[in-house]
Amino acid sequence: MASVDYVLGEDEVDRERPSRGPFALAMRRLLRKKIAVAALIFIGVFYFCGLFAPVVAPHSFTDQDLDAVLQGPSLAHPLGTDKLGRDLMSRVIWASRTTVVVTVATLVTGGLVLAVGLGLLAGYVGGRVDTAIMRLGDVFFALPGLPMLIMINATLGGRIRGMGWLQAMEDGLRINGFPDYVVVFGALSLFAWVGGARLIRSQVLALRETEYVTAAKAMGASTARIIVHHLLPNVANIVIVSLSVSLGAIAGTEIALSWFGVGVQPPNPSFGVMLYEGGNIRTLQANPHLLLVPGAVVAGLIFSFNLLGDALTDVLTPHAR
Amino acid sequence: MKRLGAVAALLLGLLVVASIVACGGGSDSSEDVGDAGGNGASGSTLRMVGNDPLTLDPALVTDAVSASYIVEIYSGLVTIGQDLKIAPDIAKSWDVSPDGRTYTFHLREDVVFQQTYRQVTAEDFKYSMERTANPDTVSTVAEAYLGDIVGVKEMINGTASEISGIEAVDDFTLRITIDDAKPYFIAKMACPTAFVVDKTQIEDDRRNWTKKPHGTGPYQVKQWKLGESLTLQANQRYYAGVPAVKTVEFVLSGGSRLTMYEDDEVDVAGVSVNDIERVLDSSDPLHSEYLSADMMSVSYLGFNTQKAPFDDPKVRQAFGMAVDREKIVEVVLKDMVPVAHSVLPPGLPGYNAGATVATFDPEKAKQLLAESSYGGPSGLPKVTLSQVGAGATAGDDTQAMVEMWKKNLGVEVEIQQTDQATFWQDLDKKSYQMFAAGWVMDYPDPEDILDILFNSKSHQNNTGYNNPEVDRLLIQARTEQDSSKRMALYQQAEELILADAPWIPLYYGRDHVVVKPYVKDFMLPPVVMPYLKYVTIDE
Amino acid sequence: MQGLLPYLVRRLLWVPVILLAVSFIAFAITRFGPGDPVRVAMGQYSDPVVLERVRHEEGLDKPLLQQYGIYVKNLAHGKLGESFTYRNRDVSEVIFPKIWVSARLGLVAMLIVFAVGVPLGVFAALRQGTWADPLSISTLLVFQSIPVLISVPLMQIVLVLKLHWLPAAGWGGILDTHIVMPALAISLPGIAGVARLTRATMLSVLREDYVRTARAKGLGEFTVITRHVVRNSLLPLVTVVGISLATLVEGAFFAEMLLGVPGIGQLAFQAVNGRDYNIILALILILTTTFIIASIAIDIAYTIIDPRVRYERREIG
Repeated sequence: MASVDYVLGEDEVDRERPSRGPFALAMRRLLRKKIAVAALIFIGVFYFCGLFAPVVAPHSFTDQDLDAVLQGPSLAHPLGTDKLGRDLMSRVIWASRTTVVVTVATLVTGGLVLAVGLGLLAGYVGGRVDTAIMRLGDVFFALPGLPMLIMINATLGGRIRGMGWLQAMEDGLRINGFPDYVVVFGALSLFAWVGGARLIRSQVLALRETEYVTAAKAMGASTARIIVHHLLPNVANIVIVSLSVSLGAIAGTEIALSWFGVGVQPPNPSFGVMLYEGGNIRTLQANPHLLLVPGAVVAGLIFSFNLLGDALTDVLTPHAR
Repeated sequence: MKRLGAVAALLLGLLVVASIVACGGGSDSSEDVGDAGGNGASGSTLRMVGNDPLTLDPALVTDAVSASYIVEIYSGLVTIGQDLKIAPDIAKSWDVSPDGRTYTFHLREDVVFQQTYRQVTAEDFKYSMERTANPDTVSTVAEAYLGDIVGVKEMINGTASEISGIEAVDDFTLRITIDDAKPYFIAKMACPTAFVVDKTQIEDDRRNWTKKPHGTGPYQVKQWKLGESLTLQANQRYYAGVPAVKTVEFVLSGGSRLTMYEDDEVDVAGVSVNDIERVLDSSDPLHSEYLSADMMSVSYLGFNTQKAPFDDPKVRQAFGMAVDREKIVEVVLKDMVPVAHSVLPPGLPGYNAGATVATFDPEKAKQLLAESSYGGPSGLPKVTLSQVGAGATAGDDTQAMVEMWKKNLGVEVEIQQTDQATFWQDLDKKSYQMFAAGWVMDYPDPEDILDILFNSKSHQNNTGYNNPEVDRLLIQARTEQDSSKRMALYQQAEELILADAPWIPLYYGRDHVVVKPYVKDFMLPPVVMPYLKYVTIDE
Repeated sequence: MQGLLPYLVRRLLWVPVILLAVSFIAFAITRFGPGDPVRVAMGQYSDPVVLERVRHEEGLDKPLLQQYGIYVKNLAHGKLGESFTYRNRDVSEVIFPKIWVSARLGLVAMLIVFAVGVPLGVFAALRQGTWADPLSISTLLVFQSIPVLISVPLMQIVLVLKLHWLPAAGWGGILDTHIVMPALAISLPGIAGVARLTRATMLSVLREDYVRTARAKGLGEFTVITRHVVRNSLLPLVTVVGISLATLVEGAFFAEMLLGVPGIGQLAFQAVNGRDYNIILALILILTTTFIIASIAIDIAYTIIDPRVRYERREIG
């Protein structure tokens, strides 16, 4: 399940002098691994296409050509066309935009805002606030993620999409299907924050007792200042690592949701929908490119995230050599 | 170390026990439904694919899937024959009174319930229909199918404890009085809601009787494993002759049907749009096993005539003319369905081969739109097309239509997909502007579609269509005794409806299957009707 | 075992609370969302009068909290209610056979994951430095990255249509060929994960002092490996069981739908579309309970296996 979660050794945090030292060192070592670089490049290209889809894609995702359906690769359509004559390559590029938008939005809301915010709060303030947040986390963690997401999107999705202010934002921001995105990443965020929050909280608990923080408190620094200036930078590297690893899981969940039909709605393209249509065994026999093209991209993306995660593990746990 | 060993041994032991329990026990270690790549039908067993029936209680059935099983297991006064006409079933004949309001059915004396072989009498029919109307049964369709009978409404409301209009004159004579001289009443008696059920069995086991019901039809339920399989066995005491196929097995668990067929796991499988090209190719082995038949159903785009911009008939007509339905059927649907040019599908009495719907004419469409009260595309409010579907099963045809409206009319239409539950609820509330839907005939009479969908007072009128002239024709047709005059009335009504365009009729239904060569006389029923009894299997 | 009992009691006390919270959330979502199971059950014919009457008889027009109260009361009596879609059938009789199917599928998949993954990981660890190690790891990584959505159709083409080794769809119990493809599809991603974890843990264990001591004592390599190294590498695998459970459930959803396995994946999807409230709620409750029990069991197992863990837990938990 898409949960911002990552297991690190306890000895990563420098208890004496919080600084960005170990993190920068780790990054340098990462970049020296060729395979990690390859993975980063793939992810980078994917995100680039996603963000700049309107510029990169040769066709719009709705451009139909009913005289040219289900064609294989050709000059006009390098990766073929689908059953409505839409250019497959363009649809893949636009679909990557869907994934990117949803992933990033989920990350920001669930990963950053919720996980970091709640984790910091729980760890530092402690007491009842801590228990409340942890119990809430238990509830969300215990809920079976995918079924709940499907249910939420299927039942409430329609109502949320119809909300006036979301429609207004869609028109204003000129993003087609904006309410769709909100529904999807909103629901995903609800489940993505727990693991990260727990992780951050345990780090904060450890940091809380260090001399550095005690000194700051003695000097009269406010809680907020301590959190922002002293705790936050130290959890930053953990946050970054766990976020980047969960990008893969969140992308996977978005694809799963749209496969079930409760993700972003057509005509907004998404990989899940393309995999569903192409995965029908009869379609696969007749027109394999409909599955293989988006399938290769998705598999490649997940593969890259896994490689990255692996590389990060190697780099950040110095003992396994 | 020692503890670890103990834990590991414990886990291993648990696993072993679990596997033993799993293989040996379990009430659902189902019988193997055909071997992978093995031989074909064994003896006289027909293997089909299907979906789970939602219920096997005739009083509760509302969906076609459940109904398709029910018509094989149960039977009623009349049935729909292979020629799609109403034919005698348990009632060997019936007389209609001169005023057309009283039907006297003469029942066969050789009908018995399955398993117990108790003889079926008129009293059983009275019991069955009263049970359907009884509020305790919580049937949602009692009114729709039995409401014409005098006294049914009172029973449903709870003000009466029996149906006054049904009388068991003697053991084999049943008299039913209806509220008006409606010639289509007899067709409704062919529907499951009017079938006979076994009072003794129901009173004996109210909760579970539907799992192995004592019907009167050609087949009885041998075994039903929810979600896995349903097995029917020929009824040895079936009064119209024991069916040739002794066992029919339905595989209910889903998966790719055609692949199972090619693997010899089932004997009949549906052909989808992905495979039709293969199957139509005369060099493909599947070609000789292909069968297709028209269904009595029609798919359409409905407009909410009470909601802008479709309250203006010119806008509706413009949208209709801007869609090249022929092209969509040819390219997107691979010619698997016929393009509809009327409301009444072919095969239905009253079908008018000459009925015309405006054809594809983008120029005229643009003109009509400009002439409408909205003045053209820019004057229109945002238009949304609502349909049932999950994102991954998006209607390809509606997506093509949206493109056509964009290109030919300059109007951007947004597709809104919802799940079935929401769709029907919102449809009832008339919140949609334009929607994609279909209608499946329950019985072969035009009343079942025209009166139900286009009469301004009907609950199912989801277009808000209100034409007093059409209403008048429909009401008059309800009691017109002369059948050709009656059909003429319906055809007139249909013409008016097509001109007003509350609908764009899209396509009629057509089913496509492949059937193993050793299965003979297999028919695709255009309406829900018993058909398994006609099938034979060559050894 | 001292701190274990109070810890266990504390965890268990929270379970009903969590379940109540979960069930209420699910309950509220289904009721607040649009769509009406009675309307779905009515099919083509809709009659608002009938609709109201049936809703009233089913108790669907009462206020939310009252409905929830009734539900909880029935739950306490062990009654999960009746299905709206499958008329007159108890939820339990609809769900339990399907849970049993999914459970068997999951069990087999889990077995495959560990039975194949662990030895593979051991193999890779022992061959570290040779070409076999990175090759096997990379292959595994590739398999781990292919989602079930893609691997199933591909497997179907190869294993069913081309080679005729396996049946196309359906279910025949745990010892039947029908289980092979779904179990395989679901377990592939897990195998890779477990193999890599085993390898990593083994590598670190191999460096430990006691291994060198064992070797120095003159014990055969095989004895060293099996009795000391492998056992100690098993610890992290226990945690992985918990994570794999969640992944298996998700993978099972897709595999079931694609391969026609009559399990809870299919049922869940149908129930959500048909707004069969009682089935949805029952499924969520059952899945949640399973997860909670699994995570408690893992915590306990962890504590038993590694005594050191207990103390850390007390400080932070």
